[in-house]
Amino acid sequence: MAVLDQTGGVARAAPDRARPREKALRRRSSALRRAFPYLLVAPAVIYLLGITLYPGAYAIYQSFYLVRFTEWIPVGFDNYVELWSDSEFWQALLNTLIIGGIALALECVIAMALAFFAYRDALIRVWRIVFLMPMLFMPSAVAFVWKLAFNDGRVISDLLRKIGLIDGNLDFLGNVWLARSTLIVADLWQWTPFLFIIFVAALQSQDQEVEEAARLDGASWPAIFWNVSLPMIRPVIAVAVVLRGIDITTMFTNVFILTKGTPGGTTETISYFIYRQGFQTFNFGYASAAAVVMLVVTILAAQLVVKRAFRSGKA
Amino acid sequence: MEKRRKSKGDNLVLRYLVLGSWALFCLVPILWFLSIGFRPRTEIITPEPIYWPTFSLDAWRLLLADWPIFDYLRNSVVAVTGSVVIDLILGIPAAYSLTRYEYRGRDDIGFYILSTRMMAPAIVAIPIFFLFRNMGLLDSVWALMLIYAAVNLSIVVWIIRSYMLDIPKELEDAARTDGAGDLRILWEIIIPACLPGIITASVIAAIFAINEFLFTLLIASTKSAYTMSVALANFTGGSDGVIYNAIALVSFLAFLPILVLIVLIQKHLSRGLTMGAVKG
Repeated sequence: MAVLDQTGGVARAAPDRARPREKALRRRSSALRRAFPYLLVAPAVIYLLGITLYPGAYAIYQSFYLVRFTEWIPVGFDNYVELWSDSEFWQALLNTLIIGGIALALECVIAMALAFFAYRDALIRVWRIVFLMPMLFMPSAVAFVWKLAFNDGRVISDLLRKIGLIDGNLDFLGNVWLARSTLIVADLWQWTPFLFIIFVAALQSQDQEVEEAARLDGASWPAIFWNVSLPMIRPVIAVAVVLRGIDITTMFTNVFILTKGTPGGTTETISYFIYRQGFQTFNFGYASAAAVVMLVVTILAAQLVVKRAFRSGKA
Repeated sequence: MEKRRKSKGDNLVLRYLVLGSWALFCLVPILWFLSIGFRPRTEIITPEPIYWPTFSLDAWRLLLADWPIFDYLRNSVVAVTGSVVIDLILGIPAAYSLTRYEYRGRDDIGFYILSTRMMAPAIVAIPIFFLFRNMGLLDSVWALMLIYAAVNLSIVVWIIRSYMLDIPKELEDAARTDGAGDLRILWEIIIPACLPGIITASVIAAIFAINEFLFTLLIASTKSAYTMSVALANFTGGSDGVIYNAIALVSFLAFLPILVLIVLIQKHLSRGLTMGAVKG
């Protein structure tokens, strides 16, 4: 809102007839100068308010209604009460945390291990471009790659059978943890490079002399990495993990194409829950209530985590 | 440059074993999926997977004959390009304002812009759907353009801002003493000086826009707005199930230009992905 007040200041600084014209002009131009930075940033802010403030307000408003096609029936807090006792909602929340948490943890560990081995390697350019490739496919295409490999084409089952781990076929959609692991593998395959690229860049751009000094003192590389390099790039790790964490909690495409929440809703993420309530059962008011809950969590997370990560990341 | 000497704890066998296996894990599914694009439909979903298929151009024929693939391509290109242009028009002045001026509320505005990146598409999906429906913009490329621009604006602002922070203040001061106004300085000095940042931001915004799925799924419903990303999900032949060879082919058609773009900005990639927080 400060934006609007300040731009309003331009109009108020009308030339005063009693004073010499030059002075009035100067005064107007100083008001303009003060408003200028706000004028530059205002279009972007207004545009973004259009996609955050307006939809946010709309969702809050809609969450107090029962929406039946064009008819809106006010129901007070009913949607929220229902949400509170809806086991599917809690299940979706839990699934998002379980699937996202496991995938994020694995991605961090793998990306860090790969970065540790790769960043001083002579072939780093090759590793970087090879590891990057999965990230360059459209997420919907990646979902189909794994849908074919796990379910429709039974390739994973066949490979596991060939090395003698199983007999018969695994039903990756029929078992809770198998279904969850397809989502985890698909996410891991596509997005580990995101963290890898950032970690390697951070490791390469740090002060090499510190590592060198530690090495001359006779420390081994794993020890140097753990005690010297990692602490130095900690702010970068924080930013990368926060960004990946945000994206992982909004996981939708893989669920939509790979599992559709089966079996029994154990792979349904919160984004898919909102989508299903809104666009499959057309229960828009209820879906909006879930969206509002997610919005509150997002705002809290942004204030607590993101602000801190980005402030230290700039150091 | 002097070569690094081998030192304690540097196990080359282990190193190449780890890096090599991950490289295989990355490449094998890609190559296998490429092979899907060049096999007949009868050799895709089979009781036993077929690893050495017969070569076939079925998918090409299918794409060109049965699917309006050029419409999807055109929609993707128009919506993505348009959204990047909108982002640059809105984002460059905003980034300039956030870097070059001191004013009340500046950091809060900057953080607000950043925080829109945290918004899950699902939170705003329903209101956005109703908004576009009321504007009569459902199933329209223009709606996609507007929404992609909004989704990526925070990224564009923050990446460009990070590059603008690197421009020495003296460059600007010199121009100012020559009597250049703020807008001229932005146009003639700042923009050329942070061109790598602008290109990086554009490429990353374009890739995210190409990949966007949820909003496109809700807004597009026919070939007049389907993009490549969402069209894939509809490559099903009714009772025959998913048409994987066509999907594979389309995903490689989208992959190649993205690969070229990424190789172009390779040096700036980590900085772009972290919205400027990492200067690598």
